[in-house]
Amino acid sequence: MITRLSHTSIYVNDQEKAYDFYVNILGFKVKNDVKMENGFRWLTLNAPDQPELEIILMDVLHESNTSDTFDEEARNAFKVLMDKGILGAGVFNTPDCRATYEELAAKGVKFAGEPKEQFYGIEAVMYDGCGNWFSLTQPKQM
Amino acid sequence: MELTTDIYQRIVAAKLFIDEHYYESIDLDQIAAQAFLSRFHFHRLFSRIYKKTPHQYLTQKRMDAAKLFLAKEGISISDVCSMIGFESPGSFSSLFSKMSGHSPQYYRNIAWLKKKLAEEQPKQFVPHCFIEQYKVG
Repeated sequence: MITRLSHTSIYVNDQEKAYDFYVNILGFKVKNDVKMENGFRWLTLNAPDQPELEIILMDVLHESNTSDTFDEEARNAFKVLMDKGILGAGVFNTPDCRATYEELAAKGVKFAGEPKEQFYGIEAVMYDGCGNWFSLTQPKQM
Repeated sequence: MELTTDIYQRIVAAKLFIDEHYYESIDLDQIAAQAFLSRFHFHRLFSRIYKKTPHQYLTQKRMDAAKLFLAKEGISISDVCSMIGFESPGSFSSLFSKMSGHSPQYYRNIAWLKKKLAEEQPKQFVPHCFIEQYKVG
């Protein structure tokens, strides 16, 4: 029986830039920031109100990632997808989409457009600048 | 009633003012002035948008900053207290304990222990499947 998700990965093409985006701009909290002997950095965060889920900012292109399944073809494919910023990594919830949109836009975060009403709430799509886009959603009150 | 973009931008400006000045002795009048709104009107709109009062948000901001400072070395707890805008170490300590469940000293001990462990045995923080994938160690 599976009960919950404890870790999830966001693949990023620039871990330092991703740290700045998620921690300094979005306000996520650092859970673990551990450097390994081979230079690999295990960097995990929590969303402000979700301490039970570790979000791994995964430097998937790090030179130490040399498993048999992650061959040159896979590496190149990841690089292309991240450089194009087309990995749709998930949905972040906010108590007020329009306020968060205004704040993040003022901080220079790129959005696909202004917040729009959807049947499930108010949503805007934003980019992390490190390979991913997210839905920023204010869920509709049921 | 739907809020206008102008109102959103004013409330956000006030929130950013708190983010940038949380360590100073700021009050509701100063914060509301950033939005060019009366105390009453600002308090109502801020609480509606962020689901917490300006005072609750300011306190949370200070406690989050306290955790970061407590995890660092070379800063005394009374210095942390003043660095986040508290005048009384006693009220800081009791509020920190109430909000985090631990005293500042206990929180600091755990943070320092974790930091030491991360330096000495970093693999303990990483699930084994990632250690295999990334050839760690």
